[in-house]
Amino acid sequence: MKMIIGENIVKSFSAGNETHPVLGGVSLKINEGEFISIMGPSGSGKTTLMYAVSGMDSIDSGTVLFDGRNLSALSEKELSDIRRTKMGFVFQQPTLLKNLNILDNIILPAMRDNKKNAAKTMEKARALMKKVGISELEKRDITEVSGGQLQRAGICRAVMSQPKIIFGDEPTGALNSTSAQKIMDILSDINTEGTAVMLVTHDAKVAARTERIMFMCDGSIVSELRFKKFNGTGMEDRIKAITAKMREIGI
Amino acid sequence: MYYRIIRNDMLKSKLITMTTMIFVAVAAMLVSLSAILVVNLSGSINMLMDQAKTPHFMQMHSGAIDTRRLADFAEQNSLVDEFQVLEFLNVDGAQIVINGNSLADSVQDNGFTTQSEKFDYLLDLDGNVITVFDGEIYIPVSYMKDGTGKVGDTISINGKKLTVAGFLRDSQMNSLLASSKRFLVSENDYAAIKDSGSTEYLIEFRLKNMSEISTFETAYTSAGLEANGPTITYPLFKMLNAISDGLMIAVLLLVSTLIVAITFMCIHFTLLAKIEDDYREIGVMKAIGLQASDLKKIYLVKYAVIAAAGCMLGFALSFVFRGLLLENIRLYMGESEHASFAFVFGIVGILIVFLAMIAYVNHVLKRFRKISAAHAIRFGTSQGKAAGAKHFRLSRNRLLTTNTFLGVKDVLARKSLYATMLAVLIISTFIIIVPQNLYNTISSKSFITYMGIGSSDMRIDIQQTSHISEKAAEIVKVMERDSSISKYAVLTTKTFNAKAADGTEQGIKIELGDHSVLPVQYSEGRAPVAEDEIALSTMNADDLGIKVGDVMTLVIDGKEKDFTVRGVYSDVTNGGKTAKAVFSDDSADIMWSVIYAKLSDPSLAEAKTSEYADRFHFAKVSHIDEYVAQTFGSTISSVGKASDTSIAVALMIAGLVILLFMKMLVAKDSYSIAVMKSVGFTDSDIAMQYISRSVFVLMAGMVLGTLLANTLGEVLAGAVISSFGASSFQFVDHPLSMYPLLLMIGTVLIATMLGTWGAGQIKIAANMKE
Ligand SMILES: Nc1ncnc2c1ncn2[C@@H]1O[C@H](COP(=O)(O)OP(=O)(O)OP(=O)(O)O)[C@@H](O)[C@H]1O
Ligand SMILES: [Mg+2]
Repeated sequence: MKMIIGENIVKSFSAGNETHPVLGGVSLKINEGEFISIMGPSGSGKTTLMYAVSGMDSIDSGTVLFDGRNLSALSEKELSDIRRTKMGFVFQQPTLLKNLNILDNIILPAMRDNKKNAAKTMEKARALMKKVGISELEKRDITEVSGGQLQRAGICRAVMSQPKIIFGDEPTGALNSTSAQKIMDILSDINTEGTAVMLVTHDAKVAARTERIMFMCDGSIVSELRFKKFNGTGMEDRIKAITAKMREIGI
Repeated sequence: MYYRIIRNDMLKSKLITMTTMIFVAVAAMLVSLSAILVVNLSGSINMLMDQAKTPHFMQMHSGAIDTRRLADFAEQNSLVDEFQVLEFLNVDGAQIVINGNSLADSVQDNGFTTQSEKFDYLLDLDGNVITVFDGEIYIPVSYMKDGTGKVGDTISINGKKLTVAGFLRDSQMNSLLASSKRFLVSENDYAAIKDSGSTEYLIEFRLKNMSEISTFETAYTSAGLEANGPTITYPLFKMLNAISDGLMIAVLLLVSTLIVAITFMCIHFTLLAKIEDDYREIGVMKAIGLQASDLKKIYLVKYAVIAAAGCMLGFALSFVFRGLLLENIRLYMGESEHASFAFVFGIVGILIVFLAMIAYVNHVLKRFRKISAAHAIRFGTSQGKAAGAKHFRLSRNRLLTTNTFLGVKDVLARKSLYATMLAVLIISTFIIIVPQNLYNTISSKSFITYMGIGSSDMRIDIQQTSHISEKAAEIVKVMERDSSISKYAVLTTKTFNAKAADGTEQGIKIELGDHSVLPVQYSEGRAPVAEDEIALSTMNADDLGIKVGDVMTLVIDGKEKDFTVRGVYSDVTNGGKTAKAVFSDDSADIMWSVIYAKLSDPSLAEAKTSEYADRFHFAKVSHIDEYVAQTFGSTISSVGKASDTSIAVALMIAGLVILLFMKMLVAKDSYSIAVMKSVGFTDSDIAMQYISRSVFVLMAGMVLGTLLANTLGEVLAGAVISSFGASSFQFVDHPLSMYPLLLMIGTVLIATMLGTWGAGQIKIAANMKE
C-alpha cells in the first residue's frame, strides 16, 4: 500500500534576484510501515525533500499525495490536522518549547483536541517515557536534561498520536554514538509496530538499519538500495554495501 | 558609520520607531500646550484685572447705606488708595426680555449698572473701557457664548427698550461661578429703569498695597460698617476667573505626565528587547575589545534623533491645537499680556520632554556595561529560566483550554516582558476612569453637597426684598400641603459677630435652620443639632483657626454666647465664608432665606419649579439640575471635554502599544510558533494563544487600573476639586463608566489580532533551523 506518492517535485529558492533550483523533479513513493532513509551530500536537498513530502513547505510544481489527498490542494487547517494526527516529526535539534516541562511538551499536541481524555493521554505519555527511559525526567525543565534525553522526549511527542509516519531530519546528528543507537532502537521498535519512518542521515550506521536508502545529489534521487527489514543481524554487510554505493556515486 | 547603522536600524524597525516618535510628539504637544495655556491664562487674567482695575476688596450690601460714613472710613484708613460705591440694580429675570425670551430661568442675579468712574471698569472685547450711549446696552460675554443675545438684539427691561451694542468683560463676574451678572447701560437709562428692581451696593476699595488685604478686611469688619452681603477679595476674583480653564490645564498636565511615562516604558521595552536580540553580538564585540560605550553611543544617538523629531512634530501640533484651547480664555479674558512668553514656555516644556527622554535612555543603557562577554557568548540570552510559573502545568490543567493555558503560561513565565504591557494597560485604564469619574461626579446631583448646597431637587431664594420671613412662611405653608414635596428645609442667613482669640470681633454669616433634613457633606464632624452647636465652612474654620470640637463665641443681641463647633464643610457659595447653626434668633436682620425641597418623584422637578415660580414672584425658584448646570456648567463641560479626550488618548495608546508589542512578540517567538505548527497547531490556535495572553494581561491591567483609579485617582481628583473649595471628595458610582472599558477591551483585541497577523506567515521550514 502506497502512503506517499511524490511526482515530479520541483522546488527552487530565490536568494536576491537569482533563483536556484533545489529539487529538480523528484519522484518517490513510500509504503505504509516502510522504514526508509535519505542520504546525500550537504546541500543536496534532503531536508527540502522531506519538508516537501510532509507538506511543511510548499512546492513549485509536481504533486504529493498523502493517503490519496493532494497536499498542495489542502488548506492550512487541513494540513495542520494531518500533521497533528497522522505525522510525527523529529529534528536534528530537539524542538521543544522552553516554557513547558518535559511531560507538558510531550502531551502538548494531544491536549489540543483531546482534553477530555487527559488522564488517558497522561498514562500513554508516561508509558512512552518509560519505554524510552526518561520517566524520571517528566517534571524537569528542558534546560535541565541532556541532548539525547531531549531527543527521546521529542520522539515521544511525535508518536503520541500514533501517526502513520514519522519524519526524522538527522535525529541522531547531534548525539554521540551510544545515544544515537538508543534513538535508532526506539525508532525501530516504533516501526515494528507499523509506523512508517523516513530519516535523513549522513551516518551509514543509521542508514543501515533502514530497509530502503535513497541517495540524493544536486536535487535528484540518483540511486537506491534495498534491504530486508533489519532484525539485528548482518549489520556489517549492510554498512559495507552502503559505503560502496556512496563511493560509486561520489559522495 | 554611525549614521548608516542608525538609519538601517530605524528602517528595520519602522513601526517601533514611528510609534515611539508619535508618543514623544503627543507628550511634547501636551506639555507645550499646558505651558502655553498656563502662561496665557495667567497673563490674560492679569491683563484683564489690570485693565479693569478690579477692586482689591469688595463688600456687597443691600439695604440702607451710609455713604458718608464709608467715605470717612476710607479717608482715614491709611491702606486705602481709592474708594467707591457702585450701584447694582438687581432685576428679576422675568422682567428682562432679550429678543422675546425672558431670563426667568437664569439662576444668575442679573442686574444693571453704569460705567464706573475710578476703577472696576467694564471692558469691551478689545479690552477698552466702554463708553455707553443712551439707548444702548452691553451684555455679559457669557451670554454671547451661550447664544442668549447678539449685537443688534433688543432688550426690554420692565418695558424699557434698549439695543445691544456689544459685549462686556467683567473682571469680577465673568465666571459662571460668580452668581451675579452686570449689564451696562447709560446714566439716563439707568435712572429710567431704577424702579424695576432693588438696588444693591458694591462697596469697593483699591489698596495701596495688595498684600494688606487681610489687615484691611479686619479693619473694615471691626469698624462695623455696611456688611449685608458677601465679601469678596482680589485673590478670590482671580481664582473664580481661573477655575474652568485651570481645571482643563490640570487634566492636560496629568495626561501628559502619563504619556511621558508610557513613552518611557515603550523605550524600556524596545530597548531591552533589542539588547536581548543583540546579546550575543554585544558579547562578541566586547570579547574582541570594542567598548560598550561605543554601542551605547549608537543607541543614544538613535533615540536622540527620534526624540528630536517627535518633539518638533509635537511643537508643530501644539500650534494647530492651541487656538482651539485658547478660544475660551481669549473670549472671556482677552489677549494675554505676555503672549510671546508663551512661545518661550512652550519651547521650554518641549526641551524638558527631550532631556527627560535622553536621560532615561541613558539610564536604561547602563545595562550594556553589565553584559559579560563570556556569559553572552555561551548562552546567547540574558533570560533566566521560567521561574515562578513552574507549577502551572499543562498536565494538571483541567480548567483552561490548551490554547488559553499556553497563553497564560507564557505571561507567567515571562513576567518582566509583559510588565510593560501591564503597566501601559493600567495607565490607560487609569486615564479612562479618573477623568470620567471626575466628570460623572461633578455632574451628578449629589456633587453639590460637596459645594455647600444641600442635596435637593428645587431651590428657592428669597432675597433683596422686605418681609423675608413672612414670605418664607407663605411658601412653607404651601409646601406643607403639597404632597409631592417629601422634605424641605428653610435656611435663613443672618450676620453675627464672632469673637476671635485675640478679642477682636468679626462678622460671620450664619445659616439658621434645620441642617439635618437635606444635609451637605461634612468634611469633618457632623451637622449641628443642638442649640449650642455650630458648623463652619472650611474657609471660615481656617480663617478663625478653629477645629471641630473647639468652642467659639458669638455676640448675639449684645450678649456673648459659647458654641461648640460640630462640623466643617466645604462651601463655594457666598464667597465661601459661611456657618450653620440651629438656634432661633429675632435680634438680627435677615439677609436672605433659601428653601430647599426634595420631591417624592424627582422627575416632577421641572413642573414643580415652574409652578412655584409662577406662584411666588418675589422668590427665585430654580431646578437644582439647572442651578448646577448654570453655576458649574462651563467647568463641567471643560472636564467633560477633557474626559472624552482622555478616553480617546487612552484607547489610542493601548491600541498602539499592544499592536507594537504583539508584532515584536511574534518576531521574537517565531521559533516557538514554527515548532507549534510543526506538531499540528493551526494558525487560529496560535492566534487564540496570543489573544489569551492579551486578555490575561488586559484583565489584570483593568483590575489594577480600576483599583488605582479608585484610590490614588480619587485622591488626585480630590486635590483638583479641593482647589475650588470642596474637601472630603469621593467618586460616585456610575453605570456608564463601564462603557469605555468595553471599548478598551475591543481595542486591545483588535490590536492583538492585527499585531499577530504575521504569525500565520511564519514558515515552519524557514524557522526550524535554529
Ligand atoms: N530558505 C532557503 N532559502 C534559500 N536557499 C535555501 C533555503 N533552504 C535551503 N536552501 C538551499 O537549498 C539547498 C538544499 O538545502 P537543504 O537544506 O535541503 O540541504 P540538505 O541536503 O538538507 O543539506 P544538509 O545535509 O547540510 O542539511 C542548499 O543549497 C541551500 O542553500
Ligand atoms: Mg538538512
